[in-house]
This record gives sequence, structure tokens and C-alpha cells, in this order.
Amino acid sequence: MRRTRWACLALVALAVSACSSGGAGGASGGGAAGDAIVIDTFFDLKTVDPGREYELTGNLLTKAMYETLLTFDGGDVTKPLPGLADFTLSPDATTLTLTLKPGRVFSDGSPVTADDVVFSLQRVQGIKGNPSFLLDGVTVAKTGDATVTLTSAKPSPALPYILPSPALSIVNSKVVKANGGTADANDGAEKFLNGASAGSGPYMLSSLDVSSQAKLVRNPAYNGPDKPAYGTAIVRNVAAPTQKLNVQRGDSQVALDLSSDQAKGLGGSLEVTSGASAYMIFLLLSQDPGISAVTSNPDFATAVKKAIDYKGLLEVAGTGAVQPPGMIPSLFAGALPAEKAMTFDLEGAKAALAKSGAAGQSVKLSYPSDVTLGGLSFQTLAERLQSQLTAAGITVTLAPAPVATELDAYRNGKEQMGLWYWGPDYPYAADYLAFAPDGLIGKRVRWTAAQSPAIADIAGKAAVASDEAARTQLYQQFQEQLNASGPFVPLVQPPTNIVSAKSVSGVAYNAVWGLDIAGLGVR
Amino acid sequence: MARYVARRIAIALLLVVGVTLVTFVLTNLVPGDAATANLGEQAANDPAIVAAYKAHYGLDQPLPAQYVTYLGNLLTGDLGESQLTKRPVATDLAAAVPATMEIAIGAIVLSVLIGVGLGTLAAVRRGRVIDQLLRIVSLVGISLPTFWVALVAFYVFYYQLDIAPGSGRLSPTADAPPGITGLYTLDALLTGNWATWLDACAHLMLPTLVLTAYCVGLLTRFTRSAVLEVLDADHVRAARAKGLPERVVLTRYVLRAALVPILTVTGLAFGSLLSGTVLVESVFAWPGLGAYAYEAASHLDLPGVMGVGLVVGIVYLVVNLVVDLLYGVIDPRVRVS
Repeated sequence: MRRTRWACLALVALAVSACSSGGAGGASGGGAAGDAIVIDTFFDLKTVDPGREYELTGNLLTKAMYETLLTFDGGDVTKPLPGLADFTLSPDATTLTLTLKPGRVFSDGSPVTADDVVFSLQRVQGIKGNPSFLLDGVTVAKTGDATVTLTSAKPSPALPYILPSPALSIVNSKVVKANGGTADANDGAEKFLNGASAGSGPYMLSSLDVSSQAKLVRNPAYNGPDKPAYGTAIVRNVAAPTQKLNVQRGDSQVALDLSSDQAKGLGGSLEVTSGASAYMIFLLLSQDPGISAVTSNPDFATAVKKAIDYKGLLEVAGTGAVQPPGMIPSLFAGALPAEKAMTFDLEGAKAALAKSGAAGQSVKLSYPSDVTLGGLSFQTLAERLQSQLTAAGITVTLAPAPVATELDAYRNGKEQMGLWYWGPDYPYAADYLAFAPDGLIGKRVRWTAAQSPAIADIAGKAAVASDEAARTQLYQQFQEQLNASGPFVPLVQPPTNIVSAKSVSGVAYNAVWGLDIAGLGVR
Repeated sequence: MARYVARRIAIALLLVVGVTLVTFVLTNLVPGDAATANLGEQAANDPAIVAAYKAHYGLDQPLPAQYVTYLGNLLTGDLGESQLTKRPVATDLAAAVPATMEIAIGAIVLSVLIGVGLGTLAAVRRGRVIDQLLRIVSLVGISLPTFWVALVAFYVFYYQLDIAPGSGRLSPTADAPPGITGLYTLDALLTGNWATWLDACAHLMLPTLVLTAYCVGLLTRFTRSAVLEVLDADHVRAARAKGLPERVVLTRYVLRAALVPILTVTGLAFGSLLSGTVLVESVFAWPGLGAYAYEAASHLDLPGVMGVGLVVGIVYLVVNLVVDLLYGVIDPRVRVS
């Protein structure tokens, strides 16, 4: 009996001591600001090998540890700027000449050379990973001790906008090669790069668990312009509701994934940086009569476009969301002015539906029901769309499915009507040529150049136009034509909300890497 | 006894193979394509990248060949490479299983101690106020969604009262102890790192108590009904007639006889804790088996799903084996039969 009592007492003592230390532990997280910064986000992390990563969390971390040849300033992605190199694009946009800035070094102190640049970019191309397509059709060559030239057979005005992608970071070729790195499919450096970084960025990788936490420490050899204010940056995998409590209590200093509802009312010691994200949620209508004779009817497409109350969708999406005026998000160069956006016209929708002869016929709306962007659930959005379309007499049957299974139907062009999203591969209008006839997404709705030769012609000219003014005009025409007669309906750019402690400065959403960790400062 | 144990182990091995087959078939029945689910928009559009991806993971082979290859690799301890994390599944599981074990073991121990005690008390005081109260409390414990309890507990004890630490297994700036067992509390103890041990214990407390709240309700109700069945049994009345103290009657005659069903439920509850904690793990940002299983399933990560199925299957089999053996220890009739 006595032994049992002692056991109980010991248990209680353990609980009390642990709980009291818990308070301290919690406080230490918040109190660490100044030397360490804790950032909570929901991981989609697979790797931090720059040649292979192509996820949001991967971009966030890689951006902090590596540098790219070109970069963007803060949240402005409309103008590429010199990063590790100065650049010149030839007038015909087929040759990009990069001249490395002198004196820049990797974390081991060795200089960043043209050989490192060539190896890094050729490795991305050769290993056939997710980001390999970024340099499709591009030849990388060393043309001087500090000069590298990227050439392409066709004009590639998008290249300066592609190069800031963290996936095109420059790695220390000697270190990576010594750890199994090659510029072909036999590359075996990923495991090494998930345990240690080999870049010239402001931070170095201290530890990584792709399912829970990444710890970065300041790179003492860093001699670039973006010197980090925090000695340690910890990025944790935390669900949104917990992110909110953590940042409110000071256990973390930045939370990246709160919805507008969750961010509403946060004040005091916190700041909320809200705005539209670069994601574009759209509706697609199959142009294949074999898939649906209804959705391939042009008058039905017009009816759908007019039946949607776009402002009503923004209310669902929350503060910060905007209606994309065309397929190119409002943040990017080449976007249409807001007044060119589609408008709600219920009577017009009813008239177009009557003209189509499809009234009373049901269409299946497929969507990934488990996807949420900026706090906007696709399930909620689909239900709101169904209700709006029903008001115009358009009958829609909801067909939700997990994204992993629905992707197959989407990518193989089997959906009648689909609700999907496009995240930018790079912040440039050319990325949205995927929505042209015979483009990547165009093919998924079985929309061919033969069906819409005028739009296909404009898209083709925009892709290779070397004159900037002419190019911008072509992209605007392309989007206006898409709005008028294309099989896509741009619906909403969901919001992004970055909640940070007031002690943290320099918080800015960037469409490519989300947040520049090294750009965060102490107030 | 030895023959009995050997026979049970042989059956368990066959069941493990059965678990792999069922998991493999079910995972492949899900509509969808692993390459599509794991490659980006542009990469999935490049036939060369898709072909290389499928070749890397053996997805270009016929399903029977994939399964045979999996079994062959399994014999050498190779569970394959996760399509989600790109690491060996064995490495992923070596991190996730101890994380979940740490909260599951604590929860089951506390649940047994509290649940059996309260259930016995309720049975002994049958029909009285304390019995009614415990029945209501245990029913509430079972009925409340565990993730909701987790959210409320986190909000109250961490956010409002500040007596529990934040999410995760350790404070953000703390370093994990050297990986000996993967159980942070044990590893910290073994390496004499007291600060980390206290930190790990503190972070363990809330998720453990949330899971305990559910299991306690379950065990209280089962214990109550099991004890009630025995309270009026002939051997108990005989013990009382002999003039034995009530405490002795309860512990040696009543509880011992009632332990068999309690043990069964305890074993099942422990198994379900390993795979069913995904929402609790989500609230506490706990990188355990439930979170891993969810992510693997939602990315059609066949090796990951197979690995989780295997671990959970083995744990169930081991727990059942231990429970069966304990039956013999507790109840002499089982030994005789």
C-alpha cells in the first residue's frame, strides 16, 4: 500500500514539474525573438534540394539558404533585378548574358563561379525533377570566367522572370559533386542537401525534418545585401488553428496560413499583412461534345460566365481576395485592368441559357473537396457556385473528390465542368499561355487551335514577341478574347494573410517564395 | 506453453503477410495515379519525367510483380521509398512511430489506472450518486470528438492559463536528444539531458491527457459492466462468507475475474491510439504515425501507406498476443483449456 502511495506521489510530482516547465517552455519560444524567429506554416515540404524542390515550403526554405542569379525586391514580382549576377537580354530575347558579381562566396568561403552556375542549372535540367521544365529549350554555357550565357532557339522573354525561382538556386558545385551530385538522372545529392545546405544565401541548414521542423542558422560567410537580423530561423509544420494560438501567445512570431476569418480581429501585439495571393481559381468547361454536349455549347459558356456573382464569391473568400480580371492574376505584369473583368448579369445569363437550348440539363461540377487556399475551401466555393448558377436556371450536380484522385480526371480531360486553381510557375504572363487552345490546360478541356484559330494566333505571337509593349498588348488581347469566348472563367484570387509579431519588420508576401525569411528584421 | 506461443507467432507472421496484401490491394483500388498526384502540373505533362518517376518507384511494373518485389524487399527490412518524403519508409516510420508511441503509452497507462479504478468504484456503488455521476462523465468522455477536446484543451491550458507549452514535441529552439529510441523523454533521460527531459514531458502532457480522456471513458464503462457481472458470482459470495475484508474480495476475487474483458478492450484501445490520433496530432503539431498515415494516403504514397499498415498490423498482433498470454496468467481456466 505504501509503495502504491509513493508511486502516485511520484506521478503527481512528474506531472506538476512537467506542467510548470511547460509554461517556461512556452514562454521561451516567444521570448526568443531577437535572436531566433519562429515561423509557423503548414508544410507541403518534400525536399530542400534546390534542383528538385517545387513546393511552397521548399521555396520558402531554399530562398533563405541559396541565392539565384536574378531576384525580386520584396513583394514586387513585376521587375526582375540582379541577384548573384547582372544580366542583359538580347533584343530578340534569345540570349541572356549573365555576369557574376565579384566577391560573392558560398558558406564554406569558396567563391561563386561560372562553373557553379553552369553545373547548378544543368543539374536542374538533367535530373528530370519537378522544376526541370523551367529551363526547357535553354542551353547553358560558360562564356567567360564570370560570364554565363543562356540561349534558346525561340525568343524567351520570360527567362528573366523564371531565373529568380528558388529551384534555380546556385549550389556549390564542388561540395555537391563530392556528395553524389551530377547533372543527369544519376544525381544522388538529394540526401546530402536535405541534411546540409551548399549555397551562398543568408542562412545555412542546421537540421531538417520534412514532417515537422526546419532549423536555419545564420551563414557567417554571407556577404550579400540581405544580411539576416535573426541568428536562427525555425520553420515549423503547424495546422492553421494552432498557428493562430501560437502567434497570439508569442510561441511563434510569424504565422503564414491563417484564413481571413482567423486573422480578423487580431491586433495588439500582432500585425496582419493581407492581400491577394497569386493563385487563380477558375472554372473550366469541357469543349469536347463527347464529354458534355452542354458545356461545349458556346452560349452555355456565356450563360455560366454571366450567372456568376463574382462579388458574392469574394465575400466567401474573405478580406484580401480579389476578382482576377483575366487569366493572369492582378499581381503580374500583363494583367488586364480591373474594369475588364467579367460581370454578373442574371438576365443576360438566362437569355444565353435559353439561346443554348441547354436549359434543364444537368452538368457535373468536379472539384478537389479537400483543397483550401488562403482559408477558402473548394467545397464552400463549389456550393456557392452551385447556388448562383441555379438562380440563373443552370443545373449543376456537385462531384467532390479528394485532390489525389480527382487530379487524374482533371489532367486527362474527363471533367465536364471543373473547379481548379493555377499557381504560378513564374510570375510572368507566358505561364498563362497554358490556357490557350492546345496549351497545357487548353488540352484538358479539349480546346484546340482549330476551334479558336484567332485566340491561338494571338497566343502564339505573344509567346515570342520580343518588344515589351507589343507583347503586353498581345497578352491583353489574349485575355480579353478568353473572357469573351474561352472555356475558362477566372473566379477569384484567394487572400493571403501573414500574421506577425509587431517586433518583426519586413513582412511582405512574395508570389514566388511566399516570404523572404532573411528580409525579416527586428523593430 | 512454448508450443502455444510458437503457434501464435507463426499465425501472426501469416497475418502480417495478409495485412500487406490487403493494404496493397485496397491502395491500388483507389482511383488515381501516384505519378499524377505527386508530380507538378508541368512535370506531369512531360512523358519522360513521368516515365522516369514510374520506373524509379517500380510503378511501371504489373501489380503482381510490384507486390512480389515489395515482399522480397520486406524480407531484407526494406519498406521502400516514400513518394511523399522521398526518404526510406523505414526512416520515416522510425521517427513517426516513437512520437505516437510516446503519447499512446502514457495515455493507455493513465487510462488503465484511472478507468479501472473509477469503473470498479461505479460498480461497487451501483445505483448511487457516484455511479450515476461516473456513468455520465464516462459517456461524455466517449462521446466528445477527440479533436475538439484537443482544441479546447490547447486553448484553455496553453493559450488562456499558460500552464502548458505550445505545439510540437519540444520548444522551438530546443534540440532533439540523440536518437536512441526515438522516445524523447527516454532518450533525454538516457543521455542525462534534464532540461530536454522536462521540456519533452511538458509537451507530452496535454496530448496524452486528451487521449486519456477518451480511453478513460471507455475503460470506466467496460470495467463497470465487467465488475458488475462478477460481483454476485458464487466465488465472490464465498469469499465474503469466509469473512475476508472487502478490499481483498475486490482486488483478489472480483477484479481478477473481471480483468479478461478489460484486458481485451485495453489492447484494442492501444492499437487504435496508434493509427487513430491524426486529428489530435494535427492540433498539437505532433509528427506522429497518424499524421504520416494521413499525408501518405492523401498523396497516394503506396510505400508509405503500406508501411503504416504493416506497423499498425504488427502492433495489433503483438498486443493481441500479449493479451492472450495474459489471459492465461490471470485466468487459470485458460491455461487448463
